[in-house]
Amino acid sequence: MRNAAGLAILATLLAAPLLGLGSERLLLMNLVLVYAIFALGYDLAFGVTGLLSLGHAAMFGVGGYALANLTMRLHWPFELALLAGGVLAAGLAMVMAGVALRLTGVFFSLTTLALGQLCYIIASSRAKGLTGGYDGLSGVGRPVLFGLDFNDDRLFLYYNAVIFLVLLGVAGRLRSSPFGQVLAGIRLNAPRIEQLGFRPGRYQVAIFAISGFYAGISGGLLASLLFYVSPQTMNWTTSGDVLIMSILGGVGTLFGPVLGVGLFEILRDQLERVTDRWYGLLGLIFVAMTILAPGGVVGLARSLHRRLRPAAP
Amino acid sequence: MSAPALECRALSVRYGRFTAVDGFTYAFQAGGLYAVIGPNGAGKTTLMNVMVGGKRPDAGSVWLGGADVTDAGVAQRARLGLGRSFQISKIFAGMTVFENLRLAAQALAFPLQPLWRPASAYRQIADRARAMLGTVGLERYAELPADKLSHGDQRALELGLALMTEPRVLLLDEPLAGVGHHDLPAAIDRLARLAEGRTVLLIEHNMSAVMRLAETVLVMVNGALIASGPPDQVRQDPAVRSAYLGVES
Repeated sequence: MRNAAGLAILATLLAAPLLGLGSERLLLMNLVLVYAIFALGYDLAFGVTGLLSLGHAAMFGVGGYALANLTMRLHWPFELALLAGGVLAAGLAMVMAGVALRLTGVFFSLTTLALGQLCYIIASSRAKGLTGGYDGLSGVGRPVLFGLDFNDDRLFLYYNAVIFLVLLGVAGRLRSSPFGQVLAGIRLNAPRIEQLGFRPGRYQVAIFAISGFYAGISGGLLASLLFYVSPQTMNWTTSGDVLIMSILGGVGTLFGPVLGVGLFEILRDQLERVTDRWYGLLGLIFVAMTILAPGGVVGLARSLHRRLRPAAP
Repeated sequence: MSAPALECRALSVRYGRFTAVDGFTYAFQAGGLYAVIGPNGAGKTTLMNVMVGGKRPDAGSVWLGGADVTDAGVAQRARLGLGRSFQISKIFAGMTVFENLRLAAQALAFPLQPLWRPASAYRQIADRARAMLGTVGLERYAELPADKLSHGDQRALELGLALMTEPRVLLLDEPLAGVGHHDLPAAIDRLARLAEGRTVLLIEHNMSAVMRLAETVLVMVNGALIASGPPDQVRQDPAVRSAYLGVES
């Protein structure tokens, strides 16, 4: 089933640009891919390790600002700036985890929220030279690679798809590796993990940094997609969005958060056409999903699969 | 003479005005099988928490194989050979029994946990996990989710997890708690077998099991060690009969 889901996603990605989609649909698909990278990384911390972060928007924003500043002011090559944004975001995530992991449970989450909002305030008003303040930075560029100009959204979709697939593969490997098993062990029973001789804190900081790297890469790609980065990307609502996406799709599963992003963005797109209060409606759908299908889309699909499967003789 | 496997020197733990452990001093010799008994609230589990590093003592020190480990954390002491099973089973409920043991096997197998190849690709940890399934009698439940095991089998898995780190000193907190009447003789035999070649300290309320298993019994009352010695000697100790068994000497 997992392979089928992977193939379906891959086929959609490869075929979409060829389907003669309009610019709105192409933008939507690009947004799905970019946020899917964010959600993939977020789930490594939340779904796999059990670290409920409400401050991931800070890493997302840092990736965007890093790409904007490094390409526009220092004229770094796009890919190098994107990578540097990911590394900077990972560094920030390490600091955030280092502070927040002194606490556990809801207090950990609230500390990440506070630190994330601190970064948002700094970006909005204290670091205007780097961030453009509330106005943000516009004119962020797109990559040019092998003579291909990715200002075309159709081509940029392939660019994002390649990065997404690479990071999807890395996340999949990481989850099933011995390292990933320890992370799952921390979520399931931290005292036992410690009693086995593992130091949970080290693993938690490491995965938070990796998760921050994903957020930074995703933030950089969003800035490039929209040709713009604003401090709003660092606001807590962005962290809330990625949390909702993960839960909608299925926390702790590889493809769940990716599907959750697709569902979230499609719902947003459709609801926006109907009402200005689309966020409220989305909230209601989210509440209904968590009550009726706590395992998200993937959980729902699994339970359907179990029901439809013929019983063993 | 070699250093004791585990030594407590004047350990004290206080919670406000309540003293949970009161100047506990004892040297556990290598290869011995010890049992700590005492009424509820005597400080037995607190003492065990201090020994493994989960709780810092207010006074005193803990020595492991002749080295002062008072400042070492749980994970560091575990790596130095101090294993522990919990009073309430701490298993990985979302994993199968085999995956539980394979994860436990990783601790010794890799100084740094690999990030790339799947855990299932490493034969050495799979082999060790399979061997432990046999040791604790859970072979037929290997692929069952751990939380679907019966209580007694969860206690066996708990023991298996503790053993996977190959501890030289093993602390068992009520290993027989909740084990059914039928399973008790087998569980006691298993404990006796697993104790061979290592120092074992168990907290246990089942007195017949304690008297059968332990070479030395330590009696705690109100946080203090009031008696220690072979089971028969302790059973006859007037202080123990008075304080613990409620029998006037």
